[in-house]
Amino acid sequence: MQSEFESQSRSQQHPVPPSNIEFKALALVVFMVALVGASLAYVMYARGVFENTQQVILIADDSEGVIVGMDLTFSGFPMGRVRRIELSDDGKARIVVDIARKDAKWIRTSSVFTMERGMMGDTRLRVFTGVLTDPPLPDGAVRTVLLGDATAEIPHLVDTMRSLLENLENITKSNSNLSATLDNVRTVTQNLKGPYGGLGVVLGSEVNAKKIITVLDHVNTLLAKTDTRIFGVHGVMDESQVAITQINAILGDVRSSLKEVDVVLTQVQAIGSNAQVVTADLGVLREHVERSLRKVEHLVNEVNRKWPLARDTELKLP
Amino acid sequence: MRQRFLSFAGLNTLGNACVRSVTSWWGVIHFGAVTLVMALSPSTYDRENRTVIAKNIYTSTWQVLLWFTSLCALISLVLVRIIVVTALSYGLSQYALEVVVRVLVLELIPLGAALFVVLRSNMEISPTLIGSSMRTDIVPRVIAIAFSVVTLAAVSSLVTLVMAYAVVYGFSPWGFAEYTRMVGRVFDPGVAVAFVLKTALFSLAVAVIPIASALQASHEAIGELSSVPRGTVRLFLALVLIEGASLAIKFI
Repeated sequence: MQSEFESQSRSQQHPVPPSNIEFKALALVVFMVALVGASLAYVMYARGVFENTQQVILIADDSEGVIVGMDLTFSGFPMGRVRRIELSDDGKARIVVDIARKDAKWIRTSSVFTMERGMMGDTRLRVFTGVLTDPPLPDGAVRTVLLGDATAEIPHLVDTMRSLLENLENITKSNSNLSATLDNVRTVTQNLKGPYGGLGVVLGSEVNAKKIITVLDHVNTLLAKTDTRIFGVHGVMDESQVAITQINAILGDVRSSLKEVDVVLTQVQAIGSNAQVVTADLGVLREHVERSLRKVEHLVNEVNRKWPLARDTELKLP
Repeated sequence: MRQRFLSFAGLNTLGNACVRSVTSWWGVIHFGAVTLVMALSPSTYDRENRTVIAKNIYTSTWQVLLWFTSLCALISLVLVRIIVVTALSYGLSQYALEVVVRVLVLELIPLGAALFVVLRSNMEISPTLIGSSMRTDIVPRVIAIAFSVVTLAAVSSLVTLVMAYAVVYGFSPWGFAEYTRMVGRVFDPGVAVAFVLKTALFSLAVAVIPIASALQASHEAIGELSSVPRGTVRLFLALVLIEGASLAIKFI
């Protein structure tokens, strides 16, 4: 009994090592080496070591916030990484970006690169491509970055707000134009509430408004009288209606007279045609008469030439 | 006169303490160098020593790997969830994963693994090392402890990375590209080298300093009750210095 207890106690103090310890240790070492190797390969893959890349060089006035390794995104997807940042000869920042060849199709010659700084100070590089059918961006292309700095607008915004507030203060002063205008408006509205309303406001005083109302009363009286005289019994309109009836009768007589005149004119037209024929015969007669006259003249000339008592018509000067 | 004598005695004591401390640190460094040389020497890994190393690795790593990894996964899950939810509530979800990787994987897990191995190995060091052979007892133990720190840190880091992915993206494969890109952004060459170097120094410190202190205590015939805390203090000082240097290199 005692010997069993001693052996049990001995086994608890020096536990028997389990079998295949060396195998387990070797497996652990192999697992560890594999894990370290896989982690190294994964980190290299994550860093883009195995990617086939092309470069694009972005020129910026200020590279503040840009760090090596940060992404260049297109529509929210990372397309490239900042490889290095250097200062060019003209004092501008050259941001060299590696772009994976498989993603380079999204970046074209017409693409626009922007660097945006948020309110929290974070900086983002983005690329926008409007025309995807343009030629692809060549390797080593140099592009200028457009800056979109949200915080840079704050001083300008503060200046604008300050001037706006000053203007607002000037507007709302007690002696400002707006205040005077509001006083005038108040006066106008008070006048509008007066006995003559808007008429007094338009004419400037209640006296003028009173005159206008008196004139209107007269006009109303006049219109009533005119209505009686024109549209009343035996008024102008009734007499005009009778006159129009009579004029219609007269016009009927005139119409029949004109028909008779039309007949007369037809006869006159026939007479005119006959006169035209006669006029054509008169032309022949005239020719005969002229021919006879020329013969008579010729005969007279012959008589004068042969007649001895011809007069001497020549005038002799002294 | 009495006051001057006292101050001279105090300076003398302080000087002796400094000399002793420097000598002690030098002893630790020397021991570490010797151990490192022996660990890198192929003759250390003969058949007999391989068995001893295997036993030590089994004890220091195999027996604790599963439950330490499980514990680490649980803590990581809680911390990842807290960080992600907090980041989401502040509208900073894009930084959540990066914070998780930087805080947990790069900083807390290596330190946690080192402290865990310290606590576990320190309890077994002192009584067994007195009169031990350097080649057959101490060096295999140093190798096993260093290996344990590196293995626990590596496996726990991997598990934490997987947990972070699962918490943020679920078990969908469509977040893998973005997650990989984020990991690549975090592990730039400087950070990766600092991480590897820090873990290696942690493992070396955890493996060397307690044993060296225990051996010094046995040589100086100091009681064990006082020697173990002295080695532990030295170790924690070394760990703090390594962690501080790592943070300084990365963030300053």
